[in-house]
Amino acid sequence: MRIIKGLWYFYQKLIIPSLTISVVLALFSQGYVSILFGIAFSYAILTPFVHLYSYEIDSPQEYYFYYNLGLSKTTLWANTLSISTLLLIVLGLT
Amino acid sequence: MNRLHVDSVRKKIGDRSILNDVFISCQSGEIVGLLGRNGAGKSSLFKIVFGSLAADYKFVSVNDRKTRGLYSSSDLIHYLPQHRFLPEHIKIADLISCFCRRDKAALLMKQEWIQALLIKKAKALSTGERRMVECGILLFSEARFLLLDEPFNGIAPLYVDRIKELIRQNINEKGTVITGQDYKNVIDLSSRIILMQDGNTREIKNLEELVEYGYLRASADLGVWVTETSNCLKNF
Repeated sequence: MRIIKGLWYFYQKLIIPSLTISVVLALFSQGYVSILFGIAFSYAILTPFVHLYSYEIDSPQEYYFYYNLGLSKTTLWANTLSISTLLLIVLGLT
Repeated sequence: MNRLHVDSVRKKIGDRSILNDVFISCQSGEIVGLLGRNGAGKSSLFKIVFGSLAADYKFVSVNDRKTRGLYSSSDLIHYLPQHRFLPEHIKIADLISCFCRRDKAALLMKQEWIQALLIKKAKALSTGERRMVECGILLFSEARFLLLDEPFNGIAPLYVDRIKELIRQNINEKGTVITGQDYKNVIDLSSRIILMQDGNTREIKNLEELVEYGYLRASADLGVWVTETSNCLKNF
């Protein structure tokens, strides 16, 4: 349970910035694709970059909180990338 | 009784050897003070023992069982880094319940000093409050050993005293290794002192040895302070 909570807290930080930028990008791409598809597609692509900025560049020290929970950097990256990949697969299927 | 045994730690950065066959040990209920000048390799040693930094070679065992990448076993060892590490977007109460077992979390949340902070996010805390919370979370965790890297770094004397008190009150079940440039407080807390110098560790028997090995200057201040801390000297 603690691991799941840790993964959720880690991912939570990425949602608002990724979603905000995705909405803006989707608004610009209106007419080419549906707005919902635009938001979801941008979100899936952007999240790893927001992860890179938020944790690797802006607050690398926060990793230690998750290390102390037993979550390695590889696990945290895998979490971000797998959610994005899953989102892209779901989009591809619909 | 748990025992942490760290041996033969070697680490080179470029051509410079920062850790050269370092040995350190710690048992439950013990506070080991690790002293050394800036750049002596204290933080690197902690990170290597914790598992977040690779060494050229290391042998780390807990209760005679060799371990690799200790942070993958989160109930063995926890590390307090020098700089703030709590996620800023989560409330303190949530961080505590994520980090500590339910009964321990309840005990920590009952502490008077933390009650007003529980509904705040880490970004809203002062440096001293944040350090108190960081230490509290680690001290009430299930880890058998704590590595506290400069817990008094950059905080007001009031918080230094509170953190020392917090460590003293909650140290019985754990073994702790503590570093700090604030050597008086480190020595005051510690039951054993180890000096890191030139990539090696030495067990220190009395404060005069710190002068002898060039960590402290022989001054009148030291003389007064040695008298004031005579209680702590008995423990070395």
